[in-house]
Amino acid sequence: MGRVLRYLLVGVGALVMLFPFGWAVITSITPSDAVLAVPPDFTPDGASLDAYGRLLETLPFWRIVLNSAWIGAASTTLQLVTSAMAAYAFARLPFPGRGGLFAVYLATLMMPLPVLVVPLFIEMRAFNLVDTYFALLAPTIASAFGVFLLRQAINQVPREFDEAAVLDGAGHFRIFLYVVLPLIRPALATFAIFGFMASWNSYLWPLIIIKSPEFMTLPLGLATLHGQFTTQWDVVMAGSVVSVVPILILYVFAQKHVIASVAQSGLK
Amino acid sequence: MSRHVKIVGAVAVAALLATACSQGSATRGTTADAGGKVTLRYFTFSAAPDHVKDLAAIEQAFEKENPDVDVVVETAPFDQYFTKLQTSIAGGTAPDTFELNYENFVTYASAGSLLDLGTVAGDGAGGMDTSAYAPESLNAFKRDGKQYALPASFSTVVLFYNKDLFDKAGVPVPTAGWTWQDEQAAAEKLTDRKKGVYGDFQPVQFFEFYKTLKQAGGAFLTPDGKKSAFDSPQGVKAATWLVSKVGKTMPTEAEIGGTADYDTNLFKSGKLAMWHNGIWQFAGLKDVPFQWDVVVEPGDVSKASAVFHNAVAASSTTKHGKQAWAWARFLSASPVAATTRIQSSWELPPISDQQVLAGYLKDPKPANRQAVFDSLKSIALPPVIKRQQEMQDAVTKELSEAAAGRKSVQDALKAAATEVDALLG
Amino acid sequence: MSVQQARPAARAGAPVAHAGPKRRRGWRYAGTVALFLLPSLVPLTLYTLIPMAGSFWTSLHEWDLITDMRWVGLGNYAELVGDPDTQAAFLHTLYFIAGYLPLVYVGGLGLAVLLNRAMPARGLLRGVYFLPVITSWVVVALMWKWLLNPASGIVNWALGLVGVSGPGWWTDPDWAMPSIILASAWKDLGFVMIILLAGLQAIPREYQEAAMVDGATAWRRFRHITLPLLSPSTFFVVVISLINGFQVFDQVQIMTGGGPGGATQVVVSQIYDLTFRYGRAGAASALSWLLFALVLLVTIVQIRGQKRWVTYG
Repeated sequence: MGRVLRYLLVGVGALVMLFPFGWAVITSITPSDAVLAVPPDFTPDGASLDAYGRLLETLPFWRIVLNSAWIGAASTTLQLVTSAMAAYAFARLPFPGRGGLFAVYLATLMMPLPVLVVPLFIEMRAFNLVDTYFALLAPTIASAFGVFLLRQAINQVPREFDEAAVLDGAGHFRIFLYVVLPLIRPALATFAIFGFMASWNSYLWPLIIIKSPEFMTLPLGLATLHGQFTTQWDVVMAGSVVSVVPILILYVFAQKHVIASVAQSGLK
Repeated sequence: MSRHVKIVGAVAVAALLATACSQGSATRGTTADAGGKVTLRYFTFSAAPDHVKDLAAIEQAFEKENPDVDVVVETAPFDQYFTKLQTSIAGGTAPDTFELNYENFVTYASAGSLLDLGTVAGDGAGGMDTSAYAPESLNAFKRDGKQYALPASFSTVVLFYNKDLFDKAGVPVPTAGWTWQDEQAAAEKLTDRKKGVYGDFQPVQFFEFYKTLKQAGGAFLTPDGKKSAFDSPQGVKAATWLVSKVGKTMPTEAEIGGTADYDTNLFKSGKLAMWHNGIWQFAGLKDVPFQWDVVVEPGDVSKASAVFHNAVAASSTTKHGKQAWAWARFLSASPVAATTRIQSSWELPPISDQQVLAGYLKDPKPANRQAVFDSLKSIALPPVIKRQQEMQDAVTKELSEAAAGRKSVQDALKAAATEVDALLG
Repeated sequence: MSVQQARPAARAGAPVAHAGPKRRRGWRYAGTVALFLLPSLVPLTLYTLIPMAGSFWTSLHEWDLITDMRWVGLGNYAELVGDPDTQAAFLHTLYFIAGYLPLVYVGGLGLAVLLNRAMPARGLLRGVYFLPVITSWVVVALMWKWLLNPASGIVNWALGLVGVSGPGWWTDPDWAMPSIILASAWKDLGFVMIILLAGLQAIPREYQEAAMVDGATAWRRFRHITLPLLSPSTFFVVVISLINGFQVFDQVQIMTGGGPGGATQVVVSQIYDLTFRYGRAGAASALSWLLFALVLLVTIVQIRGQKRWVTYG
């Protein structure tokens, strides 16, 4: 009975979760004049991929996707490296003022972004970096969220493992690389998804720092489909669908990785 | 050993890469390039997404006439346009030239962000030719006797109607002589909620309110502009007129349910008889399967039509005042710009040349295009104060409270007046 | 570089020196710490801490972004403290958190526990629950607005079937915040789930097995083994959800824009409006620092309190 109930619960929940995505896909293939019919028509007549065609037509779409992809990849890689290293220091290297410094890291998460973009813009201007790839990337090199997430993960790793490595004469870098990192792979994979997602969906900062169309990222591109008086909803939905796909792929990949690493580490 | 060297190496490489790509583009400035060509930046909200090509055509024509200038167009969606513009001004990277709407013009002009175009206009053929513009349009962008921007386009709000619905119900179609009473009577006859057909649609918000207020013979601000004046019998009459439609001849907020472009789709699907909206909707209605036309909006004690103006201004920090002037002038008054706008129904050029404007009437749909020009005979310009957005938000918020039935019209207007007075204070 | 030869610290306190002069080891250890920290500390300082300082400076001024700043000292703070709009914004934010946090934590924990056990298509199901997390708020908000459409939405239709007349949801000031809470919890369930799943997977199976041998019931095992061992992940989820909850913005902006009648105007919506729509960057910065102080206080209380319930390995 318990099992049946469990499956039922999980299954129905899953359907509810799938709903918006299915809806976005359907909207994207609905002819534009039938979009936004209330209630929505889930089997629209004359379904077509027209909206995807117009997406490619109105925007330098591949350029935009490429920009978003490489900035996302670069920012994720940088964040993984910088956050894992800092997390190790906060979890395993006692030093005076450690608690205070960690609090400073956490504190950076507490300032709302809309108020930071103006000073940050002025700073970028002073560095002569306005309208550059680096400026897009800069605020995402370090992630206090990642440091926190990975510190918690490292704290869960039993210290006996490091101590065994110490007895073998290993230093901190070796312990970090060969003992700690493999054990927190689930957390690293999780963080990779969030890091990529944050960059991929980021809107306000790119909006402000980017002027040239050749640096445009996906959320900026999609925003240009909103006119002052009208919006092409089917194209917006097509763009949204396309924008979810890379993260979905990354997720599937990371998910596999999580399971594999758990099996491998013998922690289960 | 080798592994951690790799990591340190990766970080170093990434840092180098980042620096490299930043340097690669950090030099992209706005100053003259090697060929002595001046790069002139123009920032606009009205081109994207529908008129990017039209703007490009105007830009090419300009560059042909002015081979020493390279205009670089940057666009942003209207929602985000001012966020970007403000930040770039704050950071000292204001575009050389940019678009401003009438409502925001005062804020920027009084902040000293705009170049007095009179100081850079040349003499003779390249100079300020005031006769090229419709005088009201030109004057709208003057402040303290200085021309801070040139009007580039305008559009008006008219009454759209679905002729088929009128004919089917045997109701005579709207005419220029209509008043609110005529509109209301027709709307009631045409509304058929069972079939989802509504007689009327006029959003309950600031822009409709100041206009209907003027139609009712009221004023939004006192003549000296220092206090609100809309908490008056005329104000109550105007607000009541707007609010009374909701739930009777027009869908309620809950029925609209936040659906994007609800009214556009309602009209396009043939289920809306009368629709207060702007002439920018013309292009989108080309292929609807029913007869439709427009008339000047019905008035009350007088007629008053809303006019939206966009203008081109130059930044007070631009190094290329002359070129900025030439571009602003070309974009607003040149025959190329004017005809491009007219042919693509990209609003209207605020020019005085009636012959060019007559081209606008050639387009067969809607039949009564003349109404657009007729609506200009009696216009209502929005009240403009320094804290504009806050005022608009406050008035819209209180009006929607009244529309939802959570407040009486009188209480809502009183509250709005208090807030507006505080903003003026 | 020979940092990797530095001995790791023992469980607590300063590194133990058992080779070489004490001072040299101390420096070497400091170097190790620096090397681990600097890659994040430098960018964090440049791209977050300095702008934070900039916003503090701004908070002492009146500034519309387009004219020069005007010094007003603590004037912005003084004005905000007595301002009814500010108080309302804080109340709305607290309301959001009070509804959102329990929903998203209990739901996420339930999902994590269910999906941690073997079942067919488990990976796929996890992916499905994660979908809303990676779908943009534009799509999610549009969909929820339709689901909760008072006149033709599916939710009110379903309520009608069981004889309940549904509320006006986000068009009604009383129901607008619950609508946003519902949509947000729904979207973030997968986030909490995945963090807690990672935590669950790190719990050595031996513990559970030992308890099973002792004859502990499923509930007792959950209560006395799983929950305590999961506490670092729980701590993370709660701290992060609170920090994010205080900064709720995107969904509000897209779903209600702060309405109806200002019923969902939260602190960050207010900050955004003040900065970019109302030309009052100084007041916006001051408001951010008030929010910052509140979030900091809440987080410090949690960090202080974690010793009571968080168990680290």
